[in-house]
Amino acid sequence: MLMVVKNQIRCTLLALKYGIMKEMLNRTSFISNVLFMILNNASMLIQWLVLYSLKDNIGGYSFKEVMLLWGLAASTYGVSRAFFASAFKLSDTINKGKLDAFLVQPKSVLLNAITTHVSSSAFGDIIFGFAMVFFYGFSLRVFLLFFLFTVTGGLILVSIAIILGSLAFFLENSEIISDNGNNLMVHFATYPDGIFKGVTKILLFTLVPVGLANYLPIQAIIEFNITKIVFVLLVTSFIVFLANLVFKIGLKKYASTNLMSARV
Amino acid sequence: MRKYLYIFKSNLMTNLQYIGNITIGFITYFVVIFIFANLWKYIYSDQSKLINGYSMEQMIWYVILTEILWYATSGRKLCNKISDDVKSGNIAYNLNKPYNYIGYALFSHMGEAILRGFLYTIAGVVIGLFLLGPIENFDLIALPFIILSSILATVINVILVICIGLTSFWVEDSGPFYWIYSKLILVFGTMFPIEYFKGIIEVILKYSPVYVTTYGPAKLLVDFSYQSVINIFLAQLIYLFIAVLISLLIYRKGVRQINVNGG
Amino acid sequence: MNVIEVKNLSKTFKVKIKEKGLKGSLKSIFKQKYKTIDAVKDISFEVEKGEIIAFIGPNGAGKSTTIKMLTGILYADEGSIEVLKINPTKERKRLAYEIGTVFGQKEQLWMHLTPYDNFKFFSAIYDIPEQVAEKRIEKLKILFELNDFIDTPVRNLSLGQRIRCEIVASLIHEPKVLFLDEPTIGLDPVVKENIRTLIKRMNKELKTTIFLTSHDVGDIEKLCKRVIIINHGRIVLDDSMENLKYHYLNKKIIEVKMKEKVNLDDEEGITILKDKGYNLKIEVDTQYKNVADVIKLLDPDKIIDINISNIPLENIISAIYKNEDK
Repeated sequence: MLMVVKNQIRCTLLALKYGIMKEMLNRTSFISNVLFMILNNASMLIQWLVLYSLKDNIGGYSFKEVMLLWGLAASTYGVSRAFFASAFKLSDTINKGKLDAFLVQPKSVLLNAITTHVSSSAFGDIIFGFAMVFFYGFSLRVFLLFFLFTVTGGLILVSIAIILGSLAFFLENSEIISDNGNNLMVHFATYPDGIFKGVTKILLFTLVPVGLANYLPIQAIIEFNITKIVFVLLVTSFIVFLANLVFKIGLKKYASTNLMSARV
Repeated sequence: MRKYLYIFKSNLMTNLQYIGNITIGFITYFVVIFIFANLWKYIYSDQSKLINGYSMEQMIWYVILTEILWYATSGRKLCNKISDDVKSGNIAYNLNKPYNYIGYALFSHMGEAILRGFLYTIAGVVIGLFLLGPIENFDLIALPFIILSSILATVINVILVICIGLTSFWVEDSGPFYWIYSKLILVFGTMFPIEYFKGIIEVILKYSPVYVTTYGPAKLLVDFSYQSVINIFLAQLIYLFIAVLISLLIYRKGVRQINVNGG
Repeated sequence: MNVIEVKNLSKTFKVKIKEKGLKGSLKSIFKQKYKTIDAVKDISFEVEKGEIIAFIGPNGAGKSTTIKMLTGILYADEGSIEVLKINPTKERKRLAYEIGTVFGQKEQLWMHLTPYDNFKFFSAIYDIPEQVAEKRIEKLKILFELNDFIDTPVRNLSLGQRIRCEIVASLIHEPKVLFLDEPTIGLDPVVKENIRTLIKRMNKELKTTIFLTSHDVGDIEKLCKRVIIINHGRIVLDDSMENLKYHYLNKKIIEVKMKEKVNLDDEEGITILKDKGYNLKIEVDTQYKNVADVIKLLDPDKIIDINISNIPLENIISAIYKNEDK
């Protein structure tokens, strides 16, 4: 069992290494992609500067705290796209029958399918995210927690992408749903949760779990709240488990399907 | 002129087939407006208050229109297309055609932009009325001015993006230039009226493309006055003239470049 | 020993039916209509160790469906499959270590990497230790003549070179069975021939059982000792290549150019295919008349040019397909 896991990790790491090598083929464009993404994120500073000139506290967040939130949004986005870019193209992979190639290999179909592509600009997001830790005020504790939540948040984003992508097993034209779903996660992630009320707020902690990927972790960092940290870890494991399950059920349907249109 | 109208019309007709795809984009648009509405509702905790001369309703309607202009223009696509035309040598084929390339690019893209703008306007009005109700003191007399100035804004925007795309005659990748331009419009032009920026920035913005491509039409929508009409149309006409001039100049220089290099 | 055993295998597909017009489109949103078709219907066959078997049929006959079921990608509706005594449905991963697959139309290789790096990747997929992998790559490199381009990124290779790399990549874990789905599709004749020679050599040296689907008759003629023909999901013919030729190749085609006109009407065993006066094309049924007699009939002195050939396998197969269709 341990051997199986070890071999799988070896495979996945090699796939990622090859993905990075591909992006590095053109070094200038790699570096400019990264730099522009950092600048891109930084340009949002202006918006927040203006908003905080009107009010010291927006949705319960101070300026520095919002920048930390923005940083975590960027780093979770970055981690999910940098290493698992193909998770966001899963419905396409399924629809075009590209899963077959992974099905004849003795490794995890899901892991292989989501690690075929690396996005270079996403590294800029990660760098920007961690830079915001210093803007907020560096301490080892904040840094380590930020790192932890970058991983959990990234995993949540990838899991959501897998669940949305797996819809392709069951529905036609699910690509539109999954694209929009993934976009929703991004749009909400950069704004403080305090500005949302009622149903929206409930949705943000359930159906569109931006709250679990971004808001709650930021609260946990600011308050250093152990309960919240543990809760985030548990919820993340659950969502990852759920994504695995949905994909598995979908794959079973794929293999026993008798729908021709899904395979052509 | 008739041939340009024809180019415009055929592009419009082509894009009519993609109405489905365009409407799917509404979801993102709705989400953006929804988030902004929440943001401004929070910031205007006292909703009768004015900030920098604007009420909360005005701020949200402002964003509704600037975002429509943004989505209608879809500048990245245009910039990529012009760049591709230059790099693939497609532009050379246009040299011996009886029309001007700039005119062709402008009118064909406008065919798409007008359609998108029209559809997004419907979406914008729907979400605006849903979230806020009608604009206070809105006078129907303002409508033709808003529409005309929105069209002018888009035309200027498109020509400026064409200029950026044409830099591909000299640089490997016009992407970074477009990026800077789009950030200028997005950060300074869509979220806040110019009055939100203070000091030197406000002055600069008043002379920048932001004033004519996003601020102008949105200002007429939320705060109509004949004084603004005069200011904005004057600025737009001057900008239009300059933009056309610059684009023709760049194009002529660029084409000479082709002749020198032999294509 | 049987490597593949298939018994009474069936698989049905549902295909959507769309009614015409806007009304139909709207209707289909609420209620989909389906038509069931038999992709594979009650087929049984066995493949022995070391065999090269051709699995052929027209497009949509059920070839790919069968190969997908044999490799565990698709589950069967009915019937049983054993590949190397493993049930592909239940133990897909375990089977994966024992089989190799090449889908001619779908690339498995990383385009921006060199073949060598690709082979290393596949070694990792199949848990092959570094040193062992190196040795195998070296061996396969020689067998498939990859020396000139093993360090060139795959995207810069020709289609033929790519297919060779695809095959090597699928052999890195020394599979006992190799599934080749349309391996020569889109290749020019010279390259096709080259690939066939290499496959044959590989079969000889590595003793790999090869299960090949193709609709290129050349592949089958050159490579296979046994042929299974499938049409409309059913096996139409399962026979040795020799038998196939014997039963269906008892006819010869003779094309002659004559000095004078000849009359061959009403001769038993001769069918005239084309008659342009001095140029004749006839089919001879060798069960009734042998070729020498025909030449005598024509009068050898008056022959300017003659060409005797077998009926192309292609025609035989399409004749079998057509018979089935009736």
